Amino acid sequence: MENKDTAMEKRIPVREWTVPIRVHHWAMAISIFFLIVTGWYIADPFGVSSGETVHKFLMGEMRYYHLLFGIILTMLFVWRMYMGFFARFHANWKNFLAFTDWKNFVKQIKFYLLVSNERPEHVYLYGPLQALSYIGLFVMIFFIVITGLILTGAGYDHGLLGLAAWILTPLERLMGGLAVVRYVHHILTWLFVLFIIVHIYMAFWYDIVFKEGTVSSMINGVVFKAKEH
Amino acid sequence: MGGTNGSGNRRTVEKQYRELMEYCQVHLDQIEETLPEPRESFQEGLAARGISRREFVKWTSFITGVLMLPPMFRPMVARAAENFNRLPVIWLNFAECTGCSEAFLRSSYPNVDDILLDTISLEYHETLMAASGKQAEENFKKAMTDFEGQYILVFEGAIPEGMDGKYLRIGSEGKTSKEIGTEAASKAAAVICIGSCSSFGNVQAAKPNPTDAKGIRESLGIRTINIAGCPPNPVNFVGTVLHFLMFGALPPTDSLGRPLFAYGKRIHDYCERRSHYDAGEYVEEWGDAGAKRGWCLYKMGCKGPYTYANCGKVRYNDGTSWPIMGGHGCMGCYEPGFWDTMAPLEKPISDQAIGVEGVESKVNTVFATLAGLTVAGVAAHAAASAIKRHGPEEETKKKAEKK
Ligand code: HEM
Ligand code: SF4
Repeated sequence: MENKDTAMEKRIPVREWTVPIRVHHWAMAISIFFLIVTGWYIADPFGVSSGETVHKFLMGEMRYYHLLFGIILTMLFVWRMYMGFFARFHANWKNFLAFTDWKNFVKQIKFYLLVSNERPEHVYLYGPLQALSYIGLFVMIFFIVITGLILTGAGYDHGLLGLAAWILTPLERLMGGLAVVRYVHHILTWLFVLFIIVHIYMAFWYDIVFKEGTVSSMINGVVFKAKEH
Repeated sequence: MGGTNGSGNRRTVEKQYRELMEYCQVHLDQIEETLPEPRESFQEGLAARGISRREFVKWTSFITGVLMLPPMFRPMVARAAENFNRLPVIWLNFAECTGCSEAFLRSSYPNVDDILLDTISLEYHETLMAASGKQAEENFKKAMTDFEGQYILVFEGAIPEGMDGKYLRIGSEGKTSKEIGTEAASKAAAVICIGSCSSFGNVQAAKPNPTDAKGIRESLGIRTINIAGCPPNPVNFVGTVLHFLMFGALPPTDSLGRPLFAYGKRIHDYCERRSHYDAGEYVEEWGDAGAKRGWCLYKMGCKGPYTYANCGKVRYNDGTSWPIMGGHGCMGCYEPGFWDTMAPLEKPISDQAIGVEGVESKVNTVFATLAGLTVAGVAAHAAASAIKRHGPEEETKKKAEKK
């Protein structure tokens, strides 16, 4: 008991995440959640058989919210890229290079696989594996945004996206037509599901293993680091 | 403000159309002088086949609409139609099933499109001509020299390139389809590909494509107008040729060479079942209550959302019907590679296959399994972590204990 108390005392709060990064994180989380739910409905809709057609608009609503959050996600992506290059605090793109530190990379893998208790160093904002998986996440977001924009622009109601047709249409052809674009969009959705399972688990695992408050850090921005001895 | 702007806009547009109209008139005058004389007068041909003047005028309105021109162009369409059978056409049949020719030339009762295509000046058409053997080949050469630079070349069918093109050799000289096509295309005024085979390769080019079949554009590397479809709609072919007669140029196309007037929007955008799609009313099984009420065929694998075509607008066989109206989903036959990209044709995307050949499975099954494995992996990791009491704390604690 006493031991634990001293451990608590040794911890000092460190500002890890800035406000924009936290807002960005939760905005992404919410949009992606709704995109998966509505996207799932679009992929495998359940029919509504009772009632008059004129009073029903379920798929219409789902598509509306899917597109709404889709555009939000698109803007969030642009915002994060902007922060990566121009923000002054804790958002620099160089943090994603953490994986180039090979020694630390091996350490982290060993630590995760419960082989060694030696803790990987915390030089960058992310650990080496984290950096890699977040690069992967941004690649996934990039592709789902592009395929989503192609699908949005393809319809009768392409609206403002008509302005981007000069790039979206050639991409659509390059991929092999709308059916392929939609298929890729569908596969990417599944990759998001896989990512989310691991992401949430790792956040809680960190929280429990390091006792630094990882989960709450995305809300209050603070992690509690052990004092160096 | 808005009002003045609107009418200003309209004036500009009207001016543009008037100029286009003048251009069209001049061009028609010119071709009426220069095109070869018809074998049979078009108006007499109509009368002989029992089409009244009134029906003909109705048809011109229809085609003007299909071409997305304003109604004042109706007389121009009529004039172009009168000259339709003066335009020399060479029609080559390559790797195909002749379904396109069938769709064009055979219908239970004639309408104006059929008559145009019936009386079209076919200088050479392998399936329809009376000549055969050496004589046929001579006709082909004669047509190419007589009408050099004037004829429309129509391709029906893909070019198999495998084995140096020997999968398809025609005539006593044993020329490959590629040789024949190259020669004929070099002297043509314009090249039109009829059907998905000549446009994109279609079923011949579907995986594993044993004969290495290719569409004309890809194989010969020339500019073609692609009237894709399996079969395509005769109206779109007639519209393209009329456009050529009226303006002396082929209609604007998308990057796949398909005329925008016909291939600019998706099936899904024109579909009469679309309100059922948006409402969430789907046919779940062939012949169920939803099917009887004309609900959306999305869950039966309709490919309308991925297919650019005007089928729902112009329909087939004189506007009688089209696949979705008949109760089966679209199968995407106007799109390149649809056999591969849209399979299975009667199932939605969740049932598409993923994986390499031989070890394929439905994408949803594969990824649901992966998600299950991930959850299991995560749970195993959690359990192992708990047993090992992992973490730097334990390490420091152990060190402290040692001391
Ligand atoms: C994490 C992000 C996203 C997820 C998980 C997601 C998921 C999905 C899914 C599962 C589908 C159905 C595909 C199918 O038929 O199998 C879909 C369709 C679609 N998505 Fe997304 N999507 C995301 C982002 C976006 C974005 C950023 C946009 C556009 C700005 C977008 C636009 C569309 C459109 C237009 C459709 C087709 C709807 C229709 O044709 O009715 N999506 N999405
Ligand atoms: S039947 Fe096909 S094209 Fe028509 S609304 Fe349904 S999915 Fe779209």
